[in-house]
Amino acid sequence: MTTELTATGAPRVVPGAVTTFQVASPDLEAVVRDLHGLRLADMFAGGSGGSSPRAGGAATDGDAPTLRLVWANDAGEGQSGYVITETQIDGTEYPALSDVAPAAFVEECEIYEQFGIRPATGKPLNRVMLPPHTDLPTLGRKPAREPDEVRAPHAVAGEAFEFPFGPVRQAGVESLYYGLVTSGEEIVDVYLFTWHKHRGLEWRLAGKTPEQALFLAERAEGLSAVAVGWALAAAVESATGTTPPEAAQRTRAVALELERLYNHAAAMAALCQSTGLSVGQSAAEIALERLLRLNARALGHRYLFGVVAPGGACRAPDSGAIRGELPGAYGEFRRAADALLATNSFVDRLEATGTLTSAQAAALGMVGPVARATGLAGDARLVPGGPYDPDAGGPGAGIRVATATAGDALARFTVMLAEAAESVRLIGQFLDAGPFFDARTAAGIAELRQTAGGTGLGWAESPRGEALAWVALDGDGRISRARLRPASARNWRGFDDACRSGNVFTDVPIIEASFWLTAAGMAR
Amino acid sequence: MTLWFVRGLRRGVVTTRYPARPDESAALLPSPPAFRPRALTEDTARRLVQACPGGALQLARNAALLFDVGRCTACGRCAAAAPDAVTRSGAWELAASTRSVLIKEIPLRGEAR
Repeated sequence: MTTELTATGAPRVVPGAVTTFQVASPDLEAVVRDLHGLRLADMFAGGSGGSSPRAGGAATDGDAPTLRLVWANDAGEGQSGYVITETQIDGTEYPALSDVAPAAFVEECEIYEQFGIRPATGKPLNRVMLPPHTDLPTLGRKPAREPDEVRAPHAVAGEAFEFPFGPVRQAGVESLYYGLVTSGEEIVDVYLFTWHKHRGLEWRLAGKTPEQALFLAERAEGLSAVAVGWALAAAVESATGTTPPEAAQRTRAVALELERLYNHAAAMAALCQSTGLSVGQSAAEIALERLLRLNARALGHRYLFGVVAPGGACRAPDSGAIRGELPGAYGEFRRAADALLATNSFVDRLEATGTLTSAQAAALGMVGPVARATGLAGDARLVPGGPYDPDAGGPGAGIRVATATAGDALARFTVMLAEAAESVRLIGQFLDAGPFFDARTAAGIAELRQTAGGTGLGWAESPRGEALAWVALDGDGRISRARLRPASARNWRGFDDACRSGNVFTDVPIIEASFWLTAAGMAR
Repeated sequence: MTLWFVRGLRRGVVTTRYPARPDESAALLPSPPAFRPRALTEDTARRLVQACPGGALQLARNAALLFDVGRCTACGRCAAAAPDAVTRSGAWELAASTRSVLIKEIPLRGEAR
């Protein structure tokens, strides 16, 4: 559905649907003001649609990119759909949307790195994906003039100094640079550089078939392989008008909840490590290992890669293995969690640490446990039309979305614990809802319908929050532009606000563990 | 803290006895493919090269399939594309001292090497 939207026309959000509006460039800023009741979920450029793809994502001069803003309707109970606004950008600049919607800033920087177009006010942009020494842009035309700040080092002045930490940190942790700005002990500001993990995935996805693209999408953020894979598969299915088989949708849901369980166990282990509680860490890691082995037994991969396919699912869950082993593994998880919540020294370290208010979370477009810990109840599983459809009465209906109000690390931890309990309940319901399929045949996969090209948006609720994907397919069914937006790409922007909320150096690892994000998802 | 000490002692040792006795879950780990050269026709080899997302499989000029274990992610797409010619090797203890050792040349059917 595509209609014209002007500055005065308030959008009507159709539940369960993706509604697309065309917005003229001069009206864009006013429309963003009008849409302020919705959450800005993503913003990206490129992909003019199915008719005129840029093969291989190569830069071409004179091809006006389309600016797309994706808005989620979280207001009230749950989440009821998405609105996309499309605007042709003819020049090299567009209205500075982050002045109106602060959640847009990181995307403004990304769009500049990819397409060389920038906000009109000339505001300074940060390097987000690309290291400062690489050439811009990766997907679109060259900017007319490169602004000075894109290669300029940032400066810290006055009484404060920058304490560099990373990109190589403790063993087994992703490359991530923290510039902790401090005047001694308290954190005044945080600079995050995530580009060490940039792999140019959106550039690589251009020209790929959906099957090839899914392989890369799963690896954009390996700890959300199911969610990001599902989002991309759903986007392709939406673009081609394909409906996956019901049993395949339940398979995806089982995998998604197993992914949430192991991630929350890993977050608990990381919280113990950051608070120096090594026995608690071991207890959480025992639960984590049992959950990973359960993943391998039930769906053939410890990190659940290769489960989701465009059109359905490649593997069916081993119901017997899940029924036999999940109670024990979750019991291990619950015992560790209960013991931690009864340990004052642990709870004290989390309480009032890394606090975000609900107003901050809403303004920055936070998702997942980080948003829900501040009282915002958005959850992409509640959008009608999937196996969790609240109105269809299916096995996933009636999700109890866990929320808290304090917005601190402890609130995030308690939200994760409640979500884990809910995941176990949901897995049971999905298994009870009926038989799965024979994975040796292609029974779990609906063939993608041949179309003349098209675009589609897909979503899934990863352990870190809503993961989004958008694709434009050409007439051959190949991807001409794909956008991946794992939850980490949203939630890192709340991390520095959380760090600034009256915290000291030793709180940073606790805040990082409680956010449980990945640098890979941000840098992709 | 005393409580955690007692909890740790009570839980005991949970690590496996690897390498003396690998844990049975090792059998669940993804492993690189093993090829059956007898079933490996040139046509099949071409399909395998197409199916491999990591570029680990290449066709050599001398009618052989080059398999670079270093680029293999054990995703299983080759085994799914040609189950007659490819199986899971089951090998997960992989190590090499030089990069070149990781590249294997698999002869195609009728082209003994």
